[in-house]
Amino acid sequence: MPSSENPQKTPSRRSRNEAKTPLTPSLTHALNNLSISAIPSPGRARRSKSASKSNLADITNPFIADPSRPSKPNGFSKSLSSGTGYSLSKSLSGNRSRPGSPTKRTLSGNGTPVMTEEMQREASGGLIKKGKGLASQFDVVKNDYVPPAKTEMKRSKSQPAVKRDRMYPREPDTVAIDQSDRFITNRAEQDLAATLELMHLNPKSSSPGHTSRLAEAANLPVNKRVLAFHEAPPASSSDPLLAKQREIVKPLYARPGALTTSSGGTTGGKARKIASQPERVLDAPGIVDDFYLNLIDWSAQNVVAVALDKSTYAWRADTGSVSHVGDVSEEASHVASVAFSEDGAFLAIGTGTGSVELWDVETSQRKRKMDGHQAQIASMAWNGHVLSSGCGDGSIWHHDVRIRNHKVMELLGHVGEVCGLKWRSDGQMLASGGNDNVVNVWDGRVADSVMTGGEVESCSNAKWTKRNHTAAVKALAWCPWQPSLLASGGGTNDATIHVWNTTTGARLHSLKTPAQITSLHFAPHKKEILSTHGYPTNAVMVHAYPSLERVAEIRDAHESRVLFSCVSPAGDVVLTGAGDENLKFWRIWEVPKAEKKKGVSQGSMDGGVRDGILAIR
Amino acid sequence: MATKQAPTRQAITLKGSTAIVTDFFKFAVNTILYQRGVYPADDFHLVKKYGQTVMLTQDLAVQNYLDKILQQVQKWLLTGGVTQLVLAIIAKDSRSTLERWVFDIHLQTSTEETETPAPSKPESQIQAEIRDILKQIVSTVTFLPTMDEPTVFNILAYTSESADVPADEWVDTDPLAIEASKSQQVKLRSFSTDVHRVEAMVAYRYDG
Repeated sequence: MPSSENPQKTPSRRSRNEAKTPLTPSLTHALNNLSISAIPSPGRARRSKSASKSNLADITNPFIADPSRPSKPNGFSKSLSSGTGYSLSKSLSGNRSRPGSPTKRTLSGNGTPVMTEEMQREASGGLIKKGKGLASQFDVVKNDYVPPAKTEMKRSKSQPAVKRDRMYPREPDTVAIDQSDRFITNRAEQDLAATLELMHLNPKSSSPGHTSRLAEAANLPVNKRVLAFHEAPPASSSDPLLAKQREIVKPLYARPGALTTSSGGTTGGKARKIASQPERVLDAPGIVDDFYLNLIDWSAQNVVAVALDKSTYAWRADTGSVSHVGDVSEEASHVASVAFSEDGAFLAIGTGTGSVELWDVETSQRKRKMDGHQAQIASMAWNGHVLSSGCGDGSIWHHDVRIRNHKVMELLGHVGEVCGLKWRSDGQMLASGGNDNVVNVWDGRVADSVMTGGEVESCSNAKWTKRNHTAAVKALAWCPWQPSLLASGGGTNDATIHVWNTTTGARLHSLKTPAQITSLHFAPHKKEILSTHGYPTNAVMVHAYPSLERVAEIRDAHESRVLFSCVSPAGDVVLTGAGDENLKFWRIWEVPKAEKKKGVSQGSMDGGVRDGILAIR
Repeated sequence: MATKQAPTRQAITLKGSTAIVTDFFKFAVNTILYQRGVYPADDFHLVKKYGQTVMLTQDLAVQNYLDKILQQVQKWLLTGGVTQLVLAIIAKDSRSTLERWVFDIHLQTSTEETETPAPSKPESQIQAEIRDILKQIVSTVTFLPTMDEPTVFNILAYTSESADVPADEWVDTDPLAIEASKSQQVKLRSFSTDVHRVEAMVAYRYDG
């Protein structure tokens, strides 16, 4: 801008000198001005020229002497320059150089320039410098036009605020702006205080010193202090034992669904009604109330085996008749697990002292006794002729029941009692869960003992080892319709169902349940998982898969914790056993008709499983 | 409180109002500590107050701690030095603020002088208002998120710069704010004596 000021000085001064000269020279000088001050478009110049006739001139560049001036009647401009220029020249005597900056408001409506107080003040104070040119405005810029506010806005855009401030001393707003920087938002102090208050909510500025520093930097009287008492509040000093007990019980109550009623399941559209009463109840006097044991099993021949302390009984579901399979040998303290072979002809009984017995169910004869384990056999699983047994010392043995040296392999992957053991239906993988909160998935291939020359192969590398559970893992279930899926459920402190992809080892889903999980089953014909629970809900729950939404829940299915469960070979009824010495049959699912036929035709491995026997009588 | 009320007393004094407000804080803080499970439920016992039963901690350490704080608050109330009291409930492990119970304290002495002396509020009405606040604190349990983790509390006092601060007992601190994006606020009732007006508010962390 200074560059545009400079060229004007001379012409504008000259213009005063030539105020009395004839029109032509004056006009040329004005045109000079035009060219020098480089008005962007010639059209604009033209307009201002033509506008001069109607007194609408000079909405353009303030630095340009108005080209219309000379076209005014000479007498008028003369009278102005002589009348006002006199008094001004006195006050501005020292100020020789000035640009032709028109400050038209100083001229009153009738054409007489008004010397305002402010002007006088500034003039006498020597404030008027080369940018101001009060004198010039009286001889170059005349009286005729009071520019609209719009013009001023335009100008203010074209030059810095500070400059404008000097150019237009009369404008009240420029006076207000005087001390401030236009790049800093001008706020009242109250506003800033409010901003600071808002900043309290900003975590980034919430450090104790920051706000005060900020307030100090902004020179603000923030008349607030945030104070806290110097000591921290004392921790609860109540009985530590009580506190610990409370801590132990807390998860039972904190779990989702722990306090809702059995009927009040808000599960959305997935909920399904199932009979909340058992279809049938059997008495099981003396059944051992122990979480780690597996005391019931349901065979493919529709026979239920139940171990009551030392004795084992077979209950035929098709006839309802009960037979005593037999008692374990004298030295064995109790039966810790029972497992039917896949065809249902043999029953394996694991004892509390570490021996595994094989019984023929039909004849109630003990066929074989396999010793070797040093502790209780709490879990067993069959895969063809291989019986796997999980021991209290954490070892899992594969027994080949056909050969004399029955122990063909040893799996060492647990440091706690193995309480959950399940073969995948195709026999390729074995899942084991232990009291050490670990879930192991083993490769199912068993070396042939004949090939290894009687040497027992020992394996301690599980295919997958999962340590997500925080309590003993008894509940394990392989998915019948998606072989890679394995579900595992933890005990009291965990109460979580995890669903694994055993091919990739990924954890696919997790579900927190209200209580200890004692067993899990995938529904054979439906995309659902059934889980049984201990204290406090003692429930049988059905969850949809994969959403894991609750489909149904039978709250307080037993009076005590539900410990054992098995699914009928038809896949519709679930048998549960509990510490209250009852066995209860629940009709959870329905067998689809097509599926049923298919199942029969497929299940003819032992000469055709009868349609009729797959029902409870 | 009702027994203390002298029949001759017409208007409540600053001192009396301060006592009421301090008392209110004591019970409000206790109620919050009980309802929000900051201390186990069996640390508390029932007392009759404001015509209802209120839980008061019987843990001596906590009692002493609260008493020390309330004594100072009382001093500040008398001088008008405190503008806000905040009870922050903080997760013990993560140290993130879960809830902020804010009590704004306004002095209304100025209005009292200028206007014609309004008929002083009967103490029973003050108590009814306090009772309403305490009941409302209890009822907030229905919408406040459950806090599974162990928590601690902290009491903050917003004071004026000029207020007397016992140097080694009260220290400048962080406002323990909840991030604005994760914070929900619920305004509670207020109560007023002739001198003070207390407005209650709770802000809690709520992640979508």
